[in-house]
Amino acid sequence: MTGQERAAPSRRPDAPPPADALVSHTYRADLAKVRALVLQQARSAGLTEGRANDLVLAVSEVAANTLRHTKSSGTLAIWQARDEIVCEIQDEGTITDPLAGQRRPPADATGGHGLWLVHQVCDRVELRSDEAGTSIRMHMTIQPPGLSADGSATACD
Amino acid sequence: MDLLNTSVATVESDSEPYTLVVLAGEADVTNSGALRELLDSEVDKQPRTLVIDLSELRFMDSSALHVILRANRTMDRQGGVLALASPRDPVAKMLRLTAADQLLPVYATVAEATAG
Repeated sequence: MTGQERAAPSRRPDAPPPADALVSHTYRADLAKVRALVLQQARSAGLTEGRANDLVLAVSEVAANTLRHTKSSGTLAIWQARDEIVCEIQDEGTITDPLAGQRRPPADATGGHGLWLVHQVCDRVELRSDEAGTSIRMHMTIQPPGLSADGSATACD
Repeated sequence: MDLLNTSVATVESDSEPYTLVVLAGEADVTNSGALRELLDSEVDKQPRTLVIDLSELRFMDSSALHVILRANRTMDRQGGVLALASPRDPVAKMLRLTAADQLLPVYATVAEATAG
């Protein structure tokens, strides 16, 4: 494997979460706390309740993988950048499938729906993984009030 | 098991008694083992109908879904029916996105799930 290019997810981002991130939280088994932090920040960023819950589901699925696939804790960071809210989960796990979560699992599969859901509900997902660990950034665009999720203006009374 | 509270009852109805499992709180990977034990023991009793009331469930992740799908498969094999009732919006959306709602019936209410 030395010097060989592998079909693997791109390397982890060089840029760490911003120093003024709204949340930087280390978790192990308390996923309810992780979800509560995400919901709180998603609401205060102005996401609709539906999209806030989407982000909660996505982050919880990724954090669940920390529990399932690693023996160490993970880190949740949340920040806002221009018109979006970003949640990042970092842990020591390694994802070797570059297309993880991008193919729909059969409905009756009793595994593999987690990352699929992440890709379905988030506006953008960045997955980077190498031997040292994995970071997954989940982005949700913050819509200005009066715009619907598809960007069109909502009808006014 | 504080995050997820469960209760089980056998309900007499006009047609046939059915098993009602009520889930309340948040179902995730940290309690899916307990959920699995609970469903396994109910499915083992081979009820004709097993309804899971989701009205008090605020959150469900894919590991809880997988436990339910597994129970559904066994119920199928036994000739019974597993139905879900009154999921809240986030849970309903998740059932839709995973197409689980194509595999097992999802009703607006427990009454509808057990009608007929």
